[in-house]
Amino acid sequence: MSIAFWEVTKNFGPKRILDNVSFDVATGEILFILGKSGMGKSVTLKHIVGVLKPDSGAIIVDGMNVTKLDEDGLAEIRRRCGMVFQHPALLDSLTVYQNVSFGLRTPQFARTLRRTLSEEEIRARAIEKLALVHLGPELLERRPQELSYGMQKRVSLARTLAPEPRYLLFDEPTTGLDPVTTNAVNDLILELSRKLKVTSIVVSHDMACALKVADRILVLDQARILAWGTVPEIKRSQEPLIRDFLSETLALLPPEER
Amino acid sequence: MKMLRLRGETEDASTEASQAAWARFLHEVGAPLSEQARTLGEIGALFARTLTELGSVRHRGPEVAHAIVQIGIGSLPIIVLSTVFAGLVVTNEIAWHMDLALHTVSMIPGITGQFILRELGIAIPALLLVSKVGASITAEVGTMRVTEQIDALKLLGIDPVRYLVVPRFVASLLSSACLTLIAISVTLVCALSVAVLRYNFSGLEYLNALRQYIGFTDLLCALTKGVTFGAIIPIVSCAYGFRCQGGAEGVGSATTNSVVTSTIAVILLDFLLTYAFTLLN
Repeated sequence: MSIAFWEVTKNFGPKRILDNVSFDVATGEILFILGKSGMGKSVTLKHIVGVLKPDSGAIIVDGMNVTKLDEDGLAEIRRRCGMVFQHPALLDSLTVYQNVSFGLRTPQFARTLRRTLSEEEIRARAIEKLALVHLGPELLERRPQELSYGMQKRVSLARTLAPEPRYLLFDEPTTGLDPVTTNAVNDLILELSRKLKVTSIVVSHDMACALKVADRILVLDQARILAWGTVPEIKRSQEPLIRDFLSETLALLPPEER
Repeated sequence: MKMLRLRGETEDASTEASQAAWARFLHEVGAPLSEQARTLGEIGALFARTLTELGSVRHRGPEVAHAIVQIGIGSLPIIVLSTVFAGLVVTNEIAWHMDLALHTVSMIPGITGQFILRELGIAIPALLLVSKVGASITAEVGTMRVTEQIDALKLLGIDPVRYLVVPRFVASLLSSACLTLIAISVTLVCALSVAVLRYNFSGLEYLNALRQYIGFTDLLCALTKGVTFGAIIPIVSCAYGFRCQGGAEGVGSATTNSVVTSTIAVILLDFLLTYAFTLLN
Protein backbone atom coordinates (compact mmCIF):
# COMPACT_ATOMS: atom_id res chain seq x y z
CA MET A 1 0.00 0.00 0.00
CA SER A 2 1.60 3.29 -1.01
CA ILE A 3 -0.98 6.03 -0.45
CA ALA A 4 -3.88 5.81 1.99
CA PHE A 5 -6.63 8.17 3.15
CA TRP A 6 -8.02 7.41 6.59
CA GLU A 7 -11.30 9.04 7.60
CA VAL A 8 -10.35 12.40 6.07
CA THR A 9 -12.74 15.29 6.58
CA LYS A 10 -12.26 18.76 5.10
CA ASN A 11 -14.48 21.83 5.27
CA PHE A 12 -14.13 25.13 3.44
CA GLY A 13 -16.04 27.51 5.70
CA PRO A 14 -19.51 26.06 6.21
CA LYS A 15 -19.21 23.75 3.18
CA ARG A 16 -18.10 20.15 3.75
CA ILE A 17 -15.85 19.06 0.89
CA LEU A 18 -14.68 15.65 2.15
CA ASP A 19 -16.66 13.71 4.75
CA ASN A 20 -14.90 10.79 6.40
CA VAL A 21 -13.23 9.65 3.18
CA SER A 22 -11.04 6.51 3.33
CA PHE A 23 -9.34 4.67 0.48
CA ASP A 24 -5.91 3.39 -0.52
CA VAL A 25 -3.81 3.04 -3.65
CA ALA A 26 -1.37 0.19 -4.19
CA THR A 27 2.09 0.53 -5.75
CA GLY A 28 1.91 0.69 -9.54
CA GLU A 29 -1.86 1.05 -9.50
CA ILE A 30 -3.81 3.60 -11.55
CA LEU A 31 -6.72 5.01 -9.58
CA PHE A 32 -9.21 7.27 -11.32
CA ILE A 33 -11.23 9.65 -9.11
CA LEU A 34 -14.47 10.61 -10.83
CA GLY A 35 -17.27 12.90 -9.79
CA LYS A 36 -19.14 16.04 -10.68
CA SER A 37 -17.47 19.46 -10.38
CA GLY A 38 -16.99 20.75 -6.84
CA MET A 39 -17.12 17.30 -5.24
CA GLY A 40 -13.61 17.50 -3.75
CA LYS A 41 -11.61 15.59 -6.36
CA SER A 42 -8.81 18.17 -6.73
CA VAL A 43 -8.92 18.82 -2.98
CA THR A 44 -8.21 15.12 -2.44
CA LEU A 45 -5.04 15.34 -4.57
CA LYS A 46 -3.82 18.50 -2.82
CA HIS A 47 -4.10 16.73 0.54
CA ILE A 48 -1.65 14.04 -0.59
CA VAL A 49 1.15 16.57 -1.16
CA GLY A 50 0.31 18.64 1.92
CA VAL A 51 -0.80 21.75 0.00
CA LEU A 52 -4.07 21.40 1.95
CA LYS A 53 -4.43 20.00 5.46
CA PRO A 54 -7.49 18.01 6.53
CA ASP A 55 -9.66 19.10 9.46
CA SER A 56 -9.48 15.51 10.72
CA GLY A 57 -8.17 12.15 9.58
CA ALA A 58 -4.81 11.07 8.22
CA ILE A 59 -3.12 10.75 4.84
CA ILE A 60 -0.36 8.18 4.73
CA VAL A 61 2.27 8.21 1.97
CA ASP A 62 4.94 5.51 2.18
CA GLY A 63 4.18 5.05 5.87
CA MET A 64 4.48 8.79 6.67
CA ASN A 65 1.48 10.70 7.97
CA VAL A 66 1.45 13.81 5.75
CA THR A 67 -0.68 15.74 8.25
CA LYS A 68 2.03 15.48 10.93
CA LEU A 69 5.06 16.36 8.79
CA ASP A 70 7.12 19.55 9.10
CA GLU A 71 8.35 21.48 6.05
CA ASP A 72 11.34 19.13 5.52
CA GLY A 73 9.05 16.10 5.70
CA LEU A 74 6.64 17.68 3.25
CA ALA A 75 9.53 18.47 0.91
CA GLU A 76 10.39 14.76 0.92
CA ILE A 77 6.77 13.80 0.12
CA ARG A 78 6.63 16.41 -2.64
CA ARG A 79 9.88 15.06 -4.11
CA ARG A 80 8.26 11.63 -4.38
CA CYS A 81 5.03 12.99 -5.89
CA GLY A 82 4.69 14.78 -9.19
CA MET A 83 1.48 16.68 -9.77
CA VAL A 84 -0.03 17.79 -13.05
CA PHE A 85 -2.40 20.65 -12.29
CA GLN A 86 -5.76 21.55 -13.80
CA HIS A 87 -4.10 24.69 -15.23
CA PRO A 88 -0.73 24.30 -16.96
CA ALA A 89 0.76 26.32 -14.01
CA LEU A 90 3.91 27.13 -16.01
CA LEU A 91 6.02 30.04 -14.80
CA ASP A 92 5.38 32.78 -17.37
CA SER A 93 8.72 34.50 -16.89
CA LEU A 94 10.68 31.35 -17.80
CA THR A 95 11.19 29.54 -21.12
CA VAL A 96 9.90 26.02 -21.79
CA TYR A 97 13.40 24.67 -21.08
CA GLN A 98 13.67 26.57 -17.80
CA ASN A 99 10.21 25.37 -16.78
CA VAL A 100 10.87 21.70 -17.59
CA SER A 101 14.29 21.77 -15.92
CA PHE A 102 13.11 23.79 -12.89
CA GLY A 103 12.70 20.80 -10.59
CA LEU A 104 16.07 19.36 -11.64
CA ARG A 105 17.98 22.34 -10.27
CA THR A 106 16.55 22.32 -6.74
CA PRO A 107 18.71 21.35 -3.72
CA GLN A 108 16.17 18.60 -2.83
CA PHE A 109 16.65 16.95 -6.22
CA ALA A 110 20.45 17.17 -5.91
CA ARG A 111 20.19 15.54 -2.46
CA THR A 112 18.10 12.69 -3.86
CA LEU A 113 20.53 12.11 -6.70
CA ARG A 114 23.52 12.73 -4.39
CA ARG A 115 25.00 14.97 -7.09
CA THR A 116 24.12 17.97 -9.23
CA LEU A 117 23.22 17.27 -12.84
CA SER A 118 25.40 18.95 -15.46
CA GLU A 119 23.75 21.39 -17.87
CA GLU A 120 24.09 18.80 -20.69
CA GLU A 121 22.35 16.14 -18.60
CA ILE A 122 19.57 18.57 -17.66
CA ARG A 123 19.08 19.52 -21.31
CA ALA A 124 19.05 15.88 -22.44
CA ARG A 125 16.47 15.00 -19.78
CA ALA A 126 14.29 18.00 -20.69
CA ILE A 127 14.33 16.99 -24.37
CA GLU A 128 13.56 13.36 -23.43
CA LYS A 129 10.55 14.33 -21.29
CA LEU A 130 9.24 16.72 -23.95
CA ALA A 131 9.47 13.91 -26.50
CA LEU A 132 7.38 11.71 -24.17
CA VAL A 133 4.54 14.22 -24.48
CA HIS A 134 5.05 14.59 -28.24
CA LEU A 135 6.83 17.96 -28.19
CA GLY A 136 10.08 18.69 -30.03
CA PRO A 137 13.26 20.46 -28.87
CA GLU A 138 12.46 23.45 -31.10
CA LEU A 139 10.10 24.64 -28.35
CA LEU A 140 12.81 24.80 -25.67
CA GLU A 141 13.46 28.54 -25.93
CA ARG A 142 9.81 29.55 -26.36
CA ARG A 143 7.83 31.19 -23.55
CA PRO A 144 4.60 29.57 -22.29
CA GLN A 145 2.44 32.42 -23.62
CA GLU A 146 3.68 31.64 -27.16
CA LEU A 147 2.22 28.11 -26.96
CA SER A 148 -1.35 26.86 -27.32
CA TYR A 149 -3.19 25.76 -24.17
CA GLY A 150 -2.80 22.09 -25.12
CA MET A 151 0.95 22.52 -25.64
CA GLN A 152 1.26 24.31 -22.30
CA LYS A 153 -0.45 21.36 -20.59
CA ARG A 154 1.97 18.96 -22.23
CA VAL A 155 4.97 21.09 -21.16
CA SER A 156 3.51 21.03 -17.65
CA LEU A 157 3.34 17.22 -17.84
CA ALA A 158 6.96 17.09 -19.05
CA ARG A 159 8.00 19.29 -16.11
CA THR A 160 6.28 16.91 -13.70
CA LEU A 161 7.95 13.89 -15.29
CA ALA A 162 11.45 15.43 -15.33
CA PRO A 163 12.45 14.57 -11.73
CA GLU A 164 11.01 11.04 -12.28
CA PRO A 165 8.65 10.93 -9.30
CA ARG A 166 7.39 7.73 -7.70
CA TYR A 167 3.78 8.91 -7.65
CA LEU A 168 1.98 10.91 -10.30
CA LEU A 169 -1.10 12.91 -9.41
CA PHE A 170 -3.06 14.15 -12.42
CA ASP A 171 -5.70 16.83 -11.96
CA GLU A 172 -7.81 16.58 -15.13
CA PRO A 173 -4.74 16.00 -17.33
CA THR A 174 -6.58 15.81 -20.65
CA THR A 175 -8.90 18.81 -20.31
CA GLY A 176 -8.32 21.11 -23.28
CA LEU A 177 -6.31 18.55 -25.22
CA ASP A 178 -7.11 17.23 -28.69
CA PRO A 179 -8.15 13.53 -28.99
CA VAL A 180 -4.73 12.43 -30.28
CA THR A 181 -2.86 14.01 -27.37
CA THR A 182 -5.52 12.78 -24.95
CA ASN A 183 -4.85 9.23 -26.13
CA ALA A 184 -1.10 9.84 -25.91
CA VAL A 185 -1.44 11.06 -22.29
CA ASN A 186 -3.60 8.04 -21.40
CA ASP A 187 -1.07 5.70 -23.02
CA LEU A 188 1.71 7.47 -21.14
CA ILE A 189 -0.07 6.98 -17.79
CA LEU A 190 -0.44 3.27 -18.63
CA GLU A 191 3.16 2.97 -19.78
CA LEU A 192 4.59 4.66 -16.68
CA SER A 193 2.51 2.41 -14.49
CA ARG A 194 3.31 -0.84 -16.29
CA LYS A 195 7.01 -0.30 -17.08
CA LEU A 196 8.23 1.86 -14.20
CA LYS A 197 5.66 0.86 -11.54
CA VAL A 198 4.75 4.54 -11.09
CA THR A 199 1.58 4.86 -9.03
CA SER A 200 -0.94 7.26 -10.57
CA ILE A 201 -4.02 8.97 -9.23
CA VAL A 202 -6.03 10.67 -11.95
CA VAL A 203 -8.83 13.13 -11.26
CA SER A 204 -11.08 13.28 -14.28
CA HIS A 205 -14.57 13.67 -15.66
CA ASP A 206 -13.75 11.34 -18.50
CA MET A 207 -15.35 7.92 -17.88
CA ALA A 208 -14.10 6.61 -21.26
CA CYS A 209 -10.47 7.28 -20.21
CA ALA A 210 -11.13 5.74 -16.81
CA LEU A 211 -12.57 2.55 -18.32
CA LYS A 212 -9.60 2.29 -20.65
CA VAL A 213 -6.76 3.12 -18.25
CA ALA A 214 -7.82 2.66 -14.62
CA ASP A 215 -7.13 -0.32 -12.38
CA ARG A 216 -9.69 0.99 -9.92
CA ILE A 217 -12.21 3.81 -9.98
CA LEU A 218 -13.40 5.88 -7.05
CA VAL A 219 -16.53 8.01 -7.43
CA LEU A 220 -17.01 10.99 -5.10
CA ASP A 221 -20.41 12.55 -4.54
CA GLN A 222 -21.72 14.90 -1.83
CA ALA A 223 -18.33 14.82 -0.07
CA ARG A 224 -18.47 11.01 0.34
CA ILE A 225 -17.29 7.96 -1.59
CA LEU A 226 -20.21 6.78 -3.69
CA ALA A 227 -18.40 3.81 -5.19
CA TRP A 228 -14.88 2.38 -5.21
CA GLY A 229 -13.84 -0.69 -7.13
CA THR A 230 -12.34 -2.27 -10.21
CA VAL A 231 -13.61 -1.36 -13.67
CA PRO A 232 -15.96 -4.41 -13.92
CA GLU A 233 -17.33 -3.65 -10.43
CA ILE A 234 -18.03 -0.03 -11.37
CA LYS A 235 -19.65 -1.13 -14.62
CA ARG A 236 -22.04 -3.32 -12.62
CA SER A 237 -22.94 -0.51 -10.19
CA GLN A 238 -26.60 0.47 -10.05
CA GLU A 239 -25.98 3.92 -8.51
CA PRO A 240 -27.89 6.48 -10.64
CA LEU A 241 -24.92 8.90 -10.87
CA ILE A 242 -22.60 6.12 -12.04
CA ARG A 243 -25.22 4.86 -14.51
CA ASP A 244 -25.40 8.45 -15.85
CA PHE A 245 -21.61 8.59 -16.20
CA LEU A 246 -21.56 5.16 -17.84
CA SER A 247 -24.56 5.40 -20.13
CA GLU A 248 -23.10 7.94 -22.54
CA THR A 249 -19.65 6.34 -22.50
CA LEU A 250 -20.80 2.76 -23.02
CA ALA A 251 -23.03 3.76 -25.91
CA LEU A 252 -19.93 4.94 -27.79
CA LEU A 253 -18.00 1.70 -27.22
CA PRO A 254 -18.24 -1.39 -29.47
CA PRO A 255 -20.53 -4.08 -27.94
CA GLU A 256 -17.65 -6.40 -26.96
CA GLU A 257 -16.01 -3.65 -24.84
CA ARG A 258 -19.17 -2.64 -22.94
CA MET B 1 -54.91 38.56 32.92
CA LYS B 2 -55.13 37.84 29.20
CA MET B 3 -54.25 41.46 28.38
CA LEU B 4 -51.25 41.32 30.70
CA ARG B 5 -50.00 38.13 29.00
CA LEU B 6 -50.45 39.71 25.58
CA ARG B 7 -48.50 42.79 26.66
CA GLY B 8 -45.71 40.52 28.01
CA GLU B 9 -45.56 38.53 24.75
CA THR B 10 -45.33 41.75 22.72
CA GLU B 11 -42.47 42.98 24.92
CA ASP B 12 -40.68 39.61 24.54
CA ALA B 13 -41.08 39.74 20.77
CA SER B 14 -39.82 43.32 20.70
CA THR B 15 -36.76 42.40 22.85
CA GLU B 16 -35.99 39.43 20.59
CA ALA B 17 -36.24 41.61 17.48
CA SER B 18 -33.98 44.21 19.08
CA GLN B 19 -31.44 41.53 20.07
CA ALA B 20 -31.54 40.09 16.55
CA ALA B 21 -30.97 43.55 15.08
CA TRP B 22 -27.99 44.07 17.42
CA ALA B 23 -26.59 40.66 16.50
CA ARG B 24 -26.97 41.50 12.80
CA PHE B 25 -25.33 44.90 13.31
CA LEU B 26 -22.44 43.40 15.29
CA HIS B 27 -21.97 40.72 12.63
CA GLU B 28 -21.99 43.30 9.83
CA VAL B 29 -19.46 45.46 11.64
CA GLY B 30 -17.49 42.62 13.20
CA ALA B 31 -17.03 40.41 10.14
CA PRO B 32 -15.12 43.01 8.08
CA LEU B 33 -13.14 44.03 11.17
CA SER B 34 -12.11 40.46 11.92
CA GLU B 35 -11.22 40.03 8.24
CA GLN B 36 -9.05 43.17 8.40
CA ALA B 37 -7.40 41.88 11.58
CA ARG B 38 -6.68 38.56 9.85
CA THR B 39 -5.20 40.41 6.86
CA LEU B 40 -2.96 42.49 9.12
CA GLY B 41 -1.86 39.30 10.87
CA GLU B 42 -0.98 37.72 7.52
CA ILE B 43 0.96 40.82 6.46
CA GLY B 44 2.86 40.80 9.77
CA ALA B 45 3.60 37.08 9.46
CA LEU B 46 4.83 37.49 5.87
CA PHE B 47 7.04 40.41 6.92
CA ALA B 48 8.59 38.36 9.73
CA ARG B 49 9.04 35.34 7.44
CA THR B 50 10.68 37.53 4.75
CA LEU B 51 13.15 38.91 7.29
CA THR B 52 14.10 35.41 8.42
CA GLU B 53 14.58 34.29 4.80
CA LEU B 54 16.69 37.32 3.80
CA GLY B 55 19.84 35.18 3.73
CA SER B 56 18.46 33.24 0.76
CA VAL B 57 18.79 36.35 -1.41
CA ARG B 58 22.41 35.48 -2.27
CA HIS B 59 21.09 32.57 -4.38
CA ARG B 60 18.54 34.78 -6.10
CA GLY B 61 20.76 37.29 -7.92
CA PRO B 62 18.95 37.10 -11.29
CA GLU B 63 15.51 37.47 -9.65
CA VAL B 64 16.70 40.51 -7.64
CA ALA B 65 18.18 42.09 -10.77
CA HIS B 66 14.94 41.46 -12.67
CA ALA B 67 12.91 42.99 -9.83
CA ILE B 68 15.20 46.07 -9.66
CA VAL B 69 14.62 46.63 -13.38
CA GLN B 70 10.85 46.29 -12.85
CA ILE B 71 10.58 48.32 -9.65
CA GLY B 72 13.41 50.84 -9.86
CA ILE B 73 14.22 51.50 -13.50
CA GLY B 74 10.65 50.90 -14.62
CA SER B 75 9.31 53.50 -12.19
CA LEU B 76 12.01 56.12 -12.77
CA PRO B 77 10.42 58.02 -15.71
CA ILE B 78 7.00 58.42 -14.07
CA ILE B 79 8.58 59.45 -10.73
CA VAL B 80 10.87 62.02 -12.37
CA LEU B 81 7.99 63.43 -14.43
CA SER B 82 5.68 63.66 -11.41
CA THR B 83 8.26 65.20 -9.09
CA VAL B 84 9.26 67.80 -11.71
CA PHE B 85 5.71 69.13 -11.80
CA ALA B 86 5.21 68.71 -8.05
CA GLY B 87 8.39 70.76 -7.44
CA LEU B 88 7.24 73.51 -9.81
CA VAL B 89 3.74 73.67 -8.32
CA VAL B 90 4.80 73.59 -4.67
CA THR B 91 7.51 76.23 -5.05
CA ASN B 92 5.13 78.56 -6.86
CA GLU B 93 2.41 78.00 -4.26
CA ILE B 94 4.71 78.53 -1.28
CA ALA B 95 6.24 81.66 -2.81
CA TRP B 96 2.83 83.12 -3.71
CA HIS B 97 1.43 82.53 -0.21
CA MET B 98 4.59 83.86 1.43
CA ASP B 99 4.46 86.98 -0.68
CA LEU B 100 0.76 87.42 0.09
CA ALA B 101 1.04 86.91 3.85
CA LEU B 102 4.58 88.09 4.72
CA HIS B 103 5.37 90.34 1.73
CA THR B 104 8.70 88.58 1.31
CA VAL B 105 9.95 85.51 -0.57
CA SER B 106 13.31 85.33 1.16
CA MET B 107 12.45 82.08 2.94
CA ILE B 108 11.60 80.12 -0.23
CA PRO B 109 14.80 78.01 -0.09
CA GLY B 110 14.34 77.05 3.55
CA ILE B 111 10.67 76.17 3.43
CA THR B 112 10.68 74.43 0.06
CA GLY B 113 13.90 72.59 0.99
CA GLN B 114 12.48 71.31 4.26
CA PHE B 115 9.14 70.37 2.69
CA ILE B 116 10.76 68.60 -0.26
CA LEU B 117 13.31 66.73 1.83
CA ARG B 118 10.95 65.68 4.61
CA GLU B 119 7.73 65.10 2.69
CA LEU B 120 7.20 65.83 -0.98
CA GLY B 121 10.26 64.08 -2.40
CA ILE B 122 9.40 60.92 -0.45
CA ALA B 123 5.61 60.72 -0.41
CA ILE B 124 5.17 61.17 -4.17
CA PRO B 125 7.56 58.34 -5.15
CA ALA B 126 6.06 56.11 -2.45
CA LEU B 127 2.47 56.63 -3.60
CA LEU B 128 3.52 56.16 -7.22
CA LEU B 129 5.30 52.93 -6.25
CA VAL B 130 2.12 51.74 -4.51
CA SER B 131 -0.03 52.32 -7.59
CA LYS B 132 2.48 51.11 -10.17
CA VAL B 133 4.64 48.45 -8.50
CA GLY B 134 2.32 47.34 -5.69
CA ALA B 135 -0.61 46.78 -8.05
CA SER B 136 1.63 44.93 -10.50
CA ILE B 137 3.06 42.64 -7.79
CA THR B 138 -0.38 41.75 -6.40
CA ALA B 139 -1.77 41.07 -9.87
CA GLU B 140 1.24 38.90 -10.76
CA VAL B 141 1.33 36.90 -7.52
CA GLY B 142 -2.49 36.69 -7.45
CA THR B 143 -2.57 35.29 -10.99
CA MET B 144 0.13 32.81 -10.03
CA ARG B 145 -2.02 31.82 -7.06
CA VAL B 146 -5.26 31.27 -8.99
CA THR B 147 -3.51 29.44 -11.84
CA GLU B 148 -1.82 27.11 -9.32
CA GLN B 149 1.71 28.29 -10.21
CA ILE B 150 2.42 28.82 -6.50
CA ASP B 151 1.28 25.27 -5.70
CA ALA B 152 3.51 24.07 -8.55
CA LEU B 153 6.48 25.94 -7.04
CA LYS B 154 5.89 24.25 -3.66
CA LEU B 155 5.70 20.83 -5.30
CA LEU B 156 8.93 21.47 -7.19
CA GLY B 157 10.60 22.12 -3.84
CA ILE B 158 10.76 25.92 -4.14
CA ASP B 159 9.63 28.07 -1.21
CA PRO B 160 7.33 30.77 -2.70
CA VAL B 161 8.44 33.32 -0.07
CA ARG B 162 12.10 32.83 -1.01
CA TYR B 163 11.39 32.79 -4.74
CA LEU B 164 8.76 35.53 -5.02
CA VAL B 165 8.86 37.78 -1.96
CA VAL B 166 12.51 38.05 -0.87
CA PRO B 167 13.87 39.23 -4.27
CA ARG B 168 11.08 41.81 -4.61
CA PHE B 169 11.58 42.95 -1.02
CA VAL B 170 15.34 43.51 -1.46
CA ALA B 171 14.86 45.12 -4.88
CA SER B 172 12.17 47.42 -3.50
CA LEU B 173 14.37 48.49 -0.55
CA LEU B 174 17.31 49.36 -2.83
CA SER B 175 15.15 50.94 -5.54
CA SER B 176 13.14 52.95 -3.07
CA ALA B 177 16.24 54.44 -1.43
CA CYS B 178 17.66 55.41 -4.83
CA LEU B 179 14.33 56.70 -6.16
CA THR B 180 13.86 58.82 -3.03
CA LEU B 181 17.26 60.47 -3.51
CA ILE B 182 16.61 61.00 -7.22
CA ALA B 183 13.12 62.42 -6.56
CA ILE B 184 14.46 64.81 -3.91
CA SER B 185 17.25 66.01 -6.21
CA VAL B 186 14.87 66.54 -9.14
CA THR B 187 12.34 68.40 -6.98
CA LEU B 188 15.05 70.61 -5.45
CA VAL B 189 16.38 71.48 -8.92
CA CYS B 190 12.83 72.44 -9.97
CA ALA B 191 12.38 74.57 -6.83
CA LEU B 192 15.72 76.24 -7.52
CA SER B 193 14.67 76.92 -11.13
CA VAL B 194 11.43 78.57 -10.02
CA ALA B 195 13.27 80.63 -7.40
CA VAL B 196 15.88 81.78 -9.94
CA LEU B 197 13.61 82.36 -12.94
CA ARG B 198 10.61 83.85 -11.19
CA TYR B 199 11.73 85.28 -7.87
CA ASN B 200 15.16 86.66 -8.82
CA PHE B 201 17.30 84.45 -6.59
CA SER B 202 20.79 83.60 -7.81
CA GLY B 203 21.64 79.91 -7.84
CA LEU B 204 24.38 80.37 -5.22
CA GLU B 205 22.10 82.44 -3.03
CA TYR B 206 19.45 79.69 -3.12
CA LEU B 207 21.96 76.94 -2.31
CA ASN B 208 23.53 78.91 0.56
CA ALA B 209 20.10 79.55 2.09
CA LEU B 210 19.18 75.90 1.58
CA ARG B 211 22.32 74.81 3.44
CA GLN B 212 21.30 76.88 6.44
CA TYR B 213 17.88 75.25 6.73
CA ILE B 214 18.46 71.59 5.94
CA GLY B 215 20.84 69.20 7.61
CA PHE B 216 21.81 65.59 8.12
CA THR B 217 18.66 64.80 10.16
CA ASP B 218 16.47 65.83 7.22
CA LEU B 219 18.38 63.53 4.90
CA LEU B 220 18.17 60.73 7.47
CA CYS B 221 14.41 61.35 7.77
CA ALA B 222 14.06 61.15 3.97
CA LEU B 223 16.02 57.93 3.66
CA THR B 224 14.32 56.29 6.65
CA LYS B 225 10.91 57.06 5.20
CA GLY B 226 11.93 55.95 1.71
CA VAL B 227 13.34 52.62 2.90
CA THR B 228 10.35 51.99 5.20
CA PHE B 229 7.88 52.58 2.37
CA GLY B 230 10.05 50.44 0.10
CA ALA B 231 9.83 47.62 2.66
CA ILE B 232 6.10 47.75 3.27
CA ILE B 233 4.88 47.98 -0.36
CA PRO B 234 6.10 44.55 -1.64
CA ILE B 235 5.06 42.80 1.60
CA VAL B 236 1.48 44.11 1.50
CA SER B 237 1.27 43.46 -2.24
CA CYS B 238 2.56 39.88 -1.99
CA ALA B 239 0.34 39.14 1.04
CA TYR B 240 -2.75 40.13 -0.94
CA GLY B 241 -1.50 38.13 -3.93
CA PHE B 242 -1.02 35.00 -1.80
CA ARG B 243 -4.57 35.18 -0.37
CA CYS B 244 -6.15 35.79 -3.78
CA GLN B 245 -9.03 33.45 -4.63
CA GLY B 246 -11.28 32.84 -7.61
CA GLY B 247 -10.47 33.97 -11.13
CA ALA B 248 -10.00 37.37 -12.77
CA GLU B 249 -12.48 38.99 -10.36
CA GLY B 250 -10.48 37.71 -7.37
CA VAL B 251 -7.24 39.10 -8.83
CA GLY B 252 -8.93 42.47 -9.48
CA SER B 253 -10.35 42.62 -5.98
CA ALA B 254 -7.02 41.62 -4.38
CA THR B 255 -5.21 44.30 -6.41
CA THR B 256 -7.66 47.02 -5.35
CA ASN B 257 -7.46 46.01 -1.68
CA SER B 258 -3.68 45.84 -1.85
CA VAL B 259 -3.40 49.39 -3.30
CA VAL B 260 -5.83 50.77 -0.70
CA THR B 261 -4.04 49.07 2.21
CA SER B 262 -0.57 50.07 0.98
CA THR B 263 -1.68 53.70 0.49
CA ILE B 264 -3.10 53.84 4.02
CA ALA B 265 0.03 52.15 5.38
CA VAL B 266 2.29 54.69 3.62
CA ILE B 267 0.27 57.65 4.93
CA LEU B 268 0.11 56.24 8.46
CA LEU B 269 3.82 55.40 8.58
CA ASP B 270 4.60 58.82 7.09
CA PHE B 271 2.74 60.44 9.98
CA LEU B 272 4.44 58.27 12.61
CA LEU B 273 7.94 58.82 11.18
CA THR B 274 7.36 62.56 10.76
CA TYR B 275 6.25 62.71 14.40
CA ALA B 276 9.27 60.66 15.52
CA PHE B 277 11.72 62.89 13.62
CA THR B 278 10.01 66.03 14.93
CA LEU B 279 10.67 64.74 18.44
CA LEU B 280 14.24 63.92 17.45
CA ASN B 281 14.78 67.48 16.25
